[in-house]
Amino acid sequence: MKILVPVKQVAVLDEDFELRDDGLDADPDFIDHESNEWDDYSYETALQIMEAHSGVEVVPMTVGPEEAEESLRRCLAKGGERAVRVWDDALAGAGPATIAKLIAAVARREGADMVFAGTLSADHSFAMTGICVAAELAWPHVAVVTHLEYEPGAAKATVQRELEGGLVEKLTVDCPAVLTIQLGINQPRYASLRGVKQAKEKPVDELTPADLGVSGEDLAASACFRLRRMFKPAKGQAELIEGTAAEQAARLATIIKELKGAA
Amino acid sequence: MARDPKYDILFEPIKIGPKVLRNRFYQVPHCNGAGSDRPGFQAANRSIKAEGGWAGICTEYCSVHPESDDCHRLSARLWDEGDVRNLRAMTDHIHKHGALAGVEMWYGSAHAPCMESRCTSYGPSQFNSEFENLTYCHEADQDDINRLEQLYVDSALRARDAGFDIVYVYGAHSYLPLQFLSPYYNKRTDKYGGSLENRARFWVETLEKVRKAVGNDCAIATRFAVDTLYGDAGVEVEVDGIKFVEMADPFVDLWDVNVGDIAEWGEDAGPSRFYRQGHQIPWQQHIKRVSKKAVLGVGRFTDAEKMAEVIRNGHLDIIGAARPSISDPFLPQKINEGRIDDIRVCIGCNVCISRWEIGGPPFICTQNATAGEEYRRGWHPEKFPKRGSDDSILVVGAGPAGAEASRVLMERGYTVHLVDSAEKIGGCVNSIATLPGLGEWGYHRDYRETQLNKLVKKNKDSQIALGRKAMTVDECLNYGADKIIVATGADWRSDGTSGLTHAPIPGVDASLDWCVTPEQIFEGKKKIGKRVVLLNCDCYFMAPSLAQRLRTAGHDVTIVSGVELARYMHFTLESPNLHRWLHNNHVEIISGAWASRAEKGRVEIYDVLGDGWERQYRGPGKLPRAENTTQRWIEFDSLVLVTGRRSRDALYRGLKARASEWGGKGIKGVYIIGDAWAPKLIADATFDGHRIAREIEEKDPQHAKPYRREVAVWGAPHMPGGKFEIEYQQ
Repeated sequence: MKILVPVKQVAVLDEDFELRDDGLDADPDFIDHESNEWDDYSYETALQIMEAHSGVEVVPMTVGPEEAEESLRRCLAKGGERAVRVWDDALAGAGPATIAKLIAAVARREGADMVFAGTLSADHSFAMTGICVAAELAWPHVAVVTHLEYEPGAAKATVQRELEGGLVEKLTVDCPAVLTIQLGINQPRYASLRGVKQAKEKPVDELTPADLGVSGEDLAASACFRLRRMFKPAKGQAELIEGTAAEQAARLATIIKELKGAA
Repeated sequence: MARDPKYDILFEPIKIGPKVLRNRFYQVPHCNGAGSDRPGFQAANRSIKAEGGWAGICTEYCSVHPESDDCHRLSARLWDEGDVRNLRAMTDHIHKHGALAGVEMWYGSAHAPCMESRCTSYGPSQFNSEFENLTYCHEADQDDINRLEQLYVDSALRARDAGFDIVYVYGAHSYLPLQFLSPYYNKRTDKYGGSLENRARFWVETLEKVRKAVGNDCAIATRFAVDTLYGDAGVEVEVDGIKFVEMADPFVDLWDVNVGDIAEWGEDAGPSRFYRQGHQIPWQQHIKRVSKKAVLGVGRFTDAEKMAEVIRNGHLDIIGAARPSISDPFLPQKINEGRIDDIRVCIGCNVCISRWEIGGPPFICTQNATAGEEYRRGWHPEKFPKRGSDDSILVVGAGPAGAEASRVLMERGYTVHLVDSAEKIGGCVNSIATLPGLGEWGYHRDYRETQLNKLVKKNKDSQIALGRKAMTVDECLNYGADKIIVATGADWRSDGTSGLTHAPIPGVDASLDWCVTPEQIFEGKKKIGKRVVLLNCDCYFMAPSLAQRLRTAGHDVTIVSGVELARYMHFTLESPNLHRWLHNNHVEIISGAWASRAEKGRVEIYDVLGDGWERQYRGPGKLPRAENTTQRWIEFDSLVLVTGRRSRDALYRGLKARASEWGGKGIKGVYIIGDAWAPKLIADATFDGHRIAREIEEKDPQHAKPYRREVAVWGAPHMPGGKFEIEYQQ
């Protein structure tokens, strides 16, 4: 019985940042990377099932460049014996449906019985990838899972979802399934130093889309939208009026006239 | 990052007499315990600030002559060529970093007890010092006044030879020039007493003579308490204060202005418990109205916004700082580089000052563990030696000691896992900072929290794990760390054990609903009754702070104190206003008493010195004094126990007990620091953490490496060309 946990290394913007010249993303000089917070919870969910039952394997995976291996090592430091990383430089800027196609391909290759993804990623917040994986695999899915009852190998899982106003929805889902896990479902563990050291020795399979039988055309066809522009909206800003009293009065009068003109 | 343009005003050079300060950051004279006898300490502690961007850096008060000898407290001295040689190290090192060096020429009069020199000092009128009580000065006649003025001149010439750029005539804190100016000290009827002009004469003449002697080479500064806070019994800023500034202005290049006196100099070096930054501005701001010269002032300025504001508003020209420069010697550089959140902000606890008040041990800083360690241990506040091994380190406890150890280890490049059962870094500081007036103490936590969160991102193998169940011995043994540092803090005693009796108080037990420890008060689960008796056997802030908190919450509070209440707070200058507060708010204090037993609703207390004064041997099993018969009962609803602390050392002892398993688990060492080692000041716990992090690869990291000592050396006379052998008068 195998649970695949797709994780993502997300971008964290510096307090002050600039955009890339093409206007499609932030300048990498102002970006740090860290593991996506939701993935701590999805991975913990999988580890708890693994620890409670024998014969359960948990495999973390990511679609990302070499630096993203850090997020996989972070998972392996807590548990699990091996990980999978998929990448090709052509995937830079790929959208959630494209990523999902590759995750689904890994799920098939691994023979995964369940996929636990984070509800969303902290940087792009589409909350789409997990659901697209389900579509690719033609599995049922439940999003924003806050409680899970699941016996490995069982035909159904019982899950709870938190709705508006503290309302809880309880439902059963046929397995295999894709679940996207919400923050707070558990208390994710920290890695020990032993885990950190051991994780460095654990294998990470490196695959390309081609290795997974996904062609460039497949990937291109999977793009369901095109990023047009990323920008900081102009904000109304206070102005500090400086100078002598007369200069300040003159500036104030100009502003009032401008505002009257605009109205 | 670049400097925020709103701070540009702080970086404008300013001319003072023949010299130019490169910016507006100025370390006013403050004590550090170095004086003239520890030249390496003095040179390194001051010059590190020159490296950190300060424009002017001064000595502490610097005696002009042996009859101004403050021993047991520690001043610098400019008495002779030997002192010139030693202080030259300081000025040379300051100059290397492009800053100016200042010396604060000091004559204490009756406030200097002359316990080393055995001299008799002079003053405007004879009085015994309200600071020293036992020490009287001799009332100076005209000859004596001429001589006193010459002492400053001779000292100024030596200061110039020692390389000082700024020479002070020190008249704040009630020292000699102010004594002449203030009618509180000056009762004379000759031309040096009576009218303001007469009272100002000594100070003005001295400035004029010093200026004539060294004014072409050095900027002439004077430190002036512009208001002594006694009303018309002393100096009032809008009466004598500004008039004196007008009279002396032609002879001064730099005014260094503050308020207060020496007996209560916490009104100047205001603790954060009572005073916010800029608290002296209402007085200081009057000086620039009348002076044509540069004006600087202190006020524990820690915030660049506030600094820029007081200059922009025309209240001061230059930001004077003592404590903020100790807490972060690189404060100007960090503002200049836009690294505001890297500033180690002074918390205003005055533990630095406490060391001078105690009588001159090297000063310490709660925030900056490297303060005073620059020379003797070679610690730079911003530079850390690269790690000496690949060892990974588990630090258990994120309080002052554990957080500081982790910070420094991470700065050095070690992989560190810091764990704490609390949700937040800070340990005991998280509770202490909730006590009345102590909010700024939280800066100690904030600095470490900010730095740790930055550092942990630089090494993805490092980790900060908060809010978890306390670690067990087994978990630590199996954690995979090469070295383990235990920093688990301390608890207040729950059974009344104190340093006074070294035994529990019968009947006292904090598991009962009427007994409560400080931790239980912070936790907030136990109901506290209307009438509170607080048993205190601790010399610092916990008992009075809890009394403030409970009184403010409406409880009737009686403190029964077996030791002098808040004794250490005399040294931190918090004591006078604290006692005013307790008095104003009707907190009853029963001093010199301790508890013999307690039961629900009442405690039996006795006078500590209530047993017989006469001592006699009476054989075994019998006390040598008559029995104490002063016991009486007092009633309460809740009994608060500030009796003593006990290290939380079970984890460390558990690990030590299984030392035979360490090798098999790859553990090279287990160490204990901070309160868990022995309860101590936050400053000392922070030092423990810093120290072990710098020495973690040493053979025995538990125990400090020897530091470089500066002592008089047999065979090397103090005076150049002098003699060292024992010689008697013939």
